[in-house]
Amino acid sequence: MLARAKRSIDYRDLLYNLVVRDLKVRYKHSVLGFFWSLLNPVLLMLVFTFVFQQLLGSENNPTHPMYHVFFLVALLPWNWCASAVTGTLGSIVNSGYLIKKVYFPREMLPVAVVLANMINFLLALPALVLFMIILRPEGSGSPFGSDCQYACFNAHLLWVPLLILTQTIFLTGLGFFISALNVFFRDTSVLVEVGLSAWFFLTPIIYDARDVVHDLANWMYYLNPMASLVANFREVFYYSDAASPDPFFMLRNLIVCTVLLVGGYLFFMRLSHSFGEEI
Amino acid sequence: MAHGTEETIENSDGLIHTNGLTDSEKHPAQEQVAGAKSGQQVTPPQAVAVRTSPARAKVIKFSNVSKKFTLRHERPQSFQDMVVSLFGLRSPSRLGKPMPRPATEKFWALKDVNFGIYQGEAVGIIGENGSGKSTTLKLVSRILDPTSGSVSVRGKVSALLELGTGFHPELTGRENIFLNGSLLGIPRKEMADRYDAIVDFAEMSEFIDTPIKHYSSGMVMRLGFAVAINVDPDILLTDEVLAVGDEAFQRKCLDYIAALRRRGVTIIYVSHALDSVRSLCSRAIWLDHGKLIADGPANDVIDQYLTFENEKHADRIREEYEARRDGTSARYASGASHAAVEIQEPTQEDLEEQGQTGQDSPEQADPETEENVGKFTYDAPGTHWTSGRAEIFDVRFFNADGQDIKTFLTDQPFTIRIYYAAHDRIENPVFGIALYTQNGVHLNGPNTRFSGLEIPYIDGTGHVDYHIDNLPLLAGMYDVTVALTGADIAETLDHQHRAYSFYVQPTPGLAERWGLIHIPAEWSFHPGSGGDGLQAKAETQAQAETPTT
Repeated sequence: MLARAKRSIDYRDLLYNLVVRDLKVRYKHSVLGFFWSLLNPVLLMLVFTFVFQQLLGSENNPTHPMYHVFFLVALLPWNWCASAVTGTLGSIVNSGYLIKKVYFPREMLPVAVVLANMINFLLALPALVLFMIILRPEGSGSPFGSDCQYACFNAHLLWVPLLILTQTIFLTGLGFFISALNVFFRDTSVLVEVGLSAWFFLTPIIYDARDVVHDLANWMYYLNPMASLVANFREVFYYSDAASPDPFFMLRNLIVCTVLLVGGYLFFMRLSHSFGEEI
Repeated sequence: MAHGTEETIENSDGLIHTNGLTDSEKHPAQEQVAGAKSGQQVTPPQAVAVRTSPARAKVIKFSNVSKKFTLRHERPQSFQDMVVSLFGLRSPSRLGKPMPRPATEKFWALKDVNFGIYQGEAVGIIGENGSGKSTTLKLVSRILDPTSGSVSVRGKVSALLELGTGFHPELTGRENIFLNGSLLGIPRKEMADRYDAIVDFAEMSEFIDTPIKHYSSGMVMRLGFAVAINVDPDILLTDEVLAVGDEAFQRKCLDYIAALRRRGVTIIYVSHALDSVRSLCSRAIWLDHGKLIADGPANDVIDQYLTFENEKHADRIREEYEARRDGTSARYASGASHAAVEIQEPTQEDLEEQGQTGQDSPEQADPETEENVGKFTYDAPGTHWTSGRAEIFDVRFFNADGQDIKTFLTDQPFTIRIYYAAHDRIENPVFGIALYTQNGVHLNGPNTRFSGLEIPYIDGTGHVDYHIDNLPLLAGMYDVTVALTGADIAETLDHQHRAYSFYVQPTPGLAERWGLIHIPAEWSFHPGSGGDGLQAKAETQAQAETPTT
């Protein structure tokens, strides 16, 4: 294990280069370049805000003022999750040309995908902050003041790095499982596609985790680390003056995700022996 | 080097690895190169001659390495098939169809292979297709893991297998250099130091910031080669990849490989071009169907391999020829023209069938209308066609003592005797022969007319001799074509393409061995007072320059 860790350090530049490659290739030939990672969620946010505020009427959502922030704060981590899952899924299979020709630690491929998408997530955060500041309805107070009710800037934001870390660990662990499985069963990609749309609705993104029937909410949190993460992100950014995010809840989620990561890593390492001949 | 050198790289996950290195280094006396074990066909190794000292580090060690591939004909790649096969049922889509072949078939690409390679050796791996050469390279580069046994590799491995793999088409040359370097585990800093050397070597400073997809394939290859050799490998794996690319760059690459060799880089070279193995490698390993057959000095192993291949080839030709001759005897009787293998014109096959059924028309009987001589674009060795008017019924070879044998010595007398039988009286016939090497190189093609021997006519039987005073051919197996034509050389009466073979062995005392022929010549040596030559050269240069200035 130690020798392996040492080798991974030798290859840390590979990780860097793979992440850079991922980001560069993604925005080559597009006029707006990386602004798409801002525009994409913003456009989606506009659609959902229109649907929920205009089509359904704002009186249906009395509890969610500043719906755009409410929605965007959940959509951004979800987008990171969805694109990382799709990316890691094909990360080994689509690099067959490399795997059959060069030896390098194969685990770098899914990890690089998760990190590249994390950077995209970080780049999109300023948009969220901007909306928190400028798009405030009358009477909701200053976002920095003590009378602020929704979408405030306060000490809760210090939890954000922990949430990002947890999500990185979760996505990497999941990525190890699906990328290795996809080498042996190509059906994995079809299943994951279907799974992603179901997962979107099973995660409190367009609705509020607090509205979920209590018994079911616990199940949702236990079975779906993304639900816990999205709920936490929303508590930190949106409900920041209300109930504080529960540190034990976040710790539990971190532990669950770490266990998943270790399991995924071992699974991946076990299967990675035969990547060279199976692809 | 900053990293990688002293690390013994494990079996690939660091959990289940065996490390044969330390073990064997404690007992240098046991370090015999593994060779032909019991049950293996050809000669055991004589490898020890190459070793310099046991103190040299062994950088690659294969201990009882086997690699099994599972060939899946009906691969259960979907969950449906997997679940279905789990219950021993047939997939619904295949109901009512015959049971498919067994789902898996085991195939041993390598079986119990042992060898060690020392630092700084250049080793060629030879063998037929499917002998396990590529698998060996992939095991060394750790792309594959052995099924059993252990592979220990010490040092940084760089492979020139498919140049430019790992390049991303959307990225520029510069970005790809760094990406490729990091795939080989080179830190970015180190790569930055080598960047200039790589760009210089690849000769592409102009295009380095252009995306790779706009490069020509030659440029991609040049860049790939430049990266692969400039990463300071301890072990360089290479195959015939150098056969592509322009002449000048090829030479540059070979020079560079030779320079790496002098610097102590271990080189493993896989090739079918045996001459390049001879020139590049000091040692060769011969694999056949996954087994190590021989391991030793390159020249010896390659000679063994060639002998083995030649024998196999000669046997095959003899069988084919005999089968063909038996099949064609009926045609001799009918007198129909027999067409040889013909690629360009498929109708020839029809003609052949008609010939076999004995439907001879005057048209077919007349070889001239078929224009045999110019038309036969591809002739398998042993191809035979005849007009039926006259035939060559035997060819024999004689040595200086008039013995009828098959094996001759370089630089000694040699006679080819052609026995003919003419069924008609044929005016001014021409006898010809042609000599070929085993791989089909046409050596010569003399005939009686070129040599000024006019034969008035033939009728009945007799023989014609072609005599060489000093056979110039070097050791090997050679094929002979014999032909008999009418006065007009285009009128083929009998033609037997590479139907006869003889062997040449080195004459004791004649050391020449490279190439095909021995040219009697003399060397001489003229030591002068060193300066003279240089001065003379300088003078000629000065003279040459005078008119321009």
